[in-house]
Amino acid sequence: MKDILTVSEFTLKEMLRRKSFIISTIIMMILIVLGFNIPNIIKIFSNDNELYAGSKILVTDNDNIFEGKLENLNKEELGYNIMVKNSSFKEIKKNIENNKIEAGIIVEKNDNTINFRYIVNDTMAMMPEDLSKALEDLYTNIQISKLNLREEQIKQITPEFTTVVEQTEEVKGNTLVITLLSCLLFYAIYFCAYQVSSSITTEKTSKIMETLVTSTSPRTIVIGKTIGIGLGGLIQMVILLLTAVLSANLFLDKAALKLVLTSTQISPINAILMFIFFILGYYLFALIYALTGSTVSKPEDIQAANTPVAFIAIAGFYLSQSIISTPVGGLTTLACLCPISSPFAMPFRVMMGLSSWQEIILSLIILIITILIVAHIAIKIYSNAILNYGAKTSFKDLIKLYKAK
Amino acid sequence: MSLILKNVSKKFGYKLAVDNLSLTFTKPGVYGLLGTNGAGKTTTIRMLLGIINKDKGQITWNNKEVNRKSVNFGYLPEERGIYPKTIIKNQLMYFAKLKGMSKLKAEEAIKYWAKILEVEEYLDMTAEKLSKGNQQKIQFMTALLHDPELIVLDEPFSGLDPVNTEIIKNIIIDLVQKGKYIIMSAHQMLTIEEFCSDILILNKGKTILQGNLKEIKNTYKANRLEIDVNQDISKIIKDLKLEIEIVKNNQYKIRINNEEQAHKLLTKVMENKIKVNKFEIQKPTLNDIFIEKVGETK
Repeated sequence: MKDILTVSEFTLKEMLRRKSFIISTIIMMILIVLGFNIPNIIKIFSNDNELYAGSKILVTDNDNIFEGKLENLNKEELGYNIMVKNSSFKEIKKNIENNKIEAGIIVEKNDNTINFRYIVNDTMAMMPEDLSKALEDLYTNIQISKLNLREEQIKQITPEFTTVVEQTEEVKGNTLVITLLSCLLFYAIYFCAYQVSSSITTEKTSKIMETLVTSTSPRTIVIGKTIGIGLGGLIQMVILLLTAVLSANLFLDKAALKLVLTSTQISPINAILMFIFFILGYYLFALIYALTGSTVSKPEDIQAANTPVAFIAIAGFYLSQSIISTPVGGLTTLACLCPISSPFAMPFRVMMGLSSWQEIILSLIILIITILIVAHIAIKIYSNAILNYGAKTSFKDLIKLYKAK
Repeated sequence: MSLILKNVSKKFGYKLAVDNLSLTFTKPGVYGLLGTNGAGKTTTIRMLLGIINKDKGQITWNNKEVNRKSVNFGYLPEERGIYPKTIIKNQLMYFAKLKGMSKLKAEEAIKYWAKILEVEEYLDMTAEKLSKGNQQKIQFMTALLHDPELIVLDEPFSGLDPVNTEIIKNIIIDLVQKGKYIIMSAHQMLTIEEFCSDILILNKGKTILQGNLKEIKNTYKANRLEIDVNQDISKIIKDLKLEIEIVKNNQYKIRINNEEQAHKLLTKVMENKIKVNKFEIQKPTLNDIFIEKVGETK
């Protein structure tokens, strides 16, 4: 036990001291801060010609299509300052160039079509949707009023249409936030577990292993190393989460933030479950990576040795995403119970309020049993493979290494 | 204290790496383990360190079966390796702790050995900034920090300059004086002859020669004459039908079958009034014995 602590303490200190760790953490912190500042950045770089509250818009109805009622647009609380005046394209253009107005609209009628010519000093600009809808509604109302209909009849022919999506199961939580958290958990588990492989390969290829295995047992090295790197990964995640929370509070609109947090449904139990599944998921992949790392003799072979593990992890992640696309069904149950996908699926299924305690416990038991089996195989192969230098290890060699005394 | 290996064997697949090896090391000193590449030296060392399991036989240290947990030997592997990006002091502390030392004791030991090996100035540097020789000295420290009773040194002098070789040699002599048991594997036969009281030669996993080095050499007759004269004597040598091995500046190394041939040559040289600076009848070197024994088994 003392040796395990010594190995994990050394591994953790080395991981935190490494330049690559410090630089990658700083880069991710910067990206998070930038991410939370996207609305502010867009505002800084957005075109000055874009319409804003109080923008002056000149509407020209030379054919009197709106029968002089265009001034009514100012009653619609659109936020723009609508000016109605008969003008030509040239005059509108001159006014825009002289900054007297921000945009102009020329209303024209061709047969049964009413055209809105939106004139603005920006080729990329679109006519604001609320403004075009307001113009359409105004025209419809003018025409309806001519029919001398009662208010009730008017309401009947112009009802408001709304769409509400309802699922067969009541799903809590914001799916976008859940997808993001699931990606974050996958990244955290995969990134940390991969470190185990590269750390073991470094020790093996730098020939330090020979000294190390005379100082302590391979079992101690594997366990100590995975704990150390896991703690390092956890520290990085905490730093990134704190950066995210701080950035959200500093840079995001308070009301929007509150809305997201309420809709996410992150309760303390959900957070604990996420933590447990992070630890177990990390351990599962870290042990598999310990196995592959120990079979590599040259640093350039590490990529090839780790590719099958990457496929397993990605397959697990994609399987886990079925909980979001189809929250109920056989595939989702498989994703929640299969050990390669359950760490990325189960915490979020709980967050969506779709999982029973029995399901959670069953998923945990399967994951723990798998970890114990993988640990037994990984430590056995690691013990026999770390002092084995030579050609690339095939699957047949792995079986031989496992069977060796 | 004693290290005893009794009928130890190890197979890798169908290949017999070590076959029925026995060895007894009962007095402090240096025991030489010799062999060609792939002879089974590293496998033997790994078995006696408890890194790999033997298939057959018994290995005991102080009458206790050797396994990874029961022994705390010092080991300098042939394949040198230290953490390249880790501060030297930190990695020495790491290995000392794994060997069961307290932080305080480890710090004292690091200070002590750093001074002896003249590497004090490198303790706060990362290993990648050190020369190969200094990296080797650091690794030598990891083998000795915990003051082990038995130390295994696999090619301790390879890659060292003469100054550093002398430092390591003095340390080995000092360790023997302190009653330590050292098993040394080396390809340089001169080094083995200099340090080892007992030797074991392995070839293809089999023991082909074993015992006290002095006694082994005594069983061999003189086979070489070294003579340093002040003029060319190659004609005299040819007349006596002797074979010149090497000649340089009138210093001759000549193959002989017995001491009488050497005396005959000396008489002839004296008769010709040639001045003799050096005349030495030599027994076979360990190198000769090694080549002869390995050649016999081919």
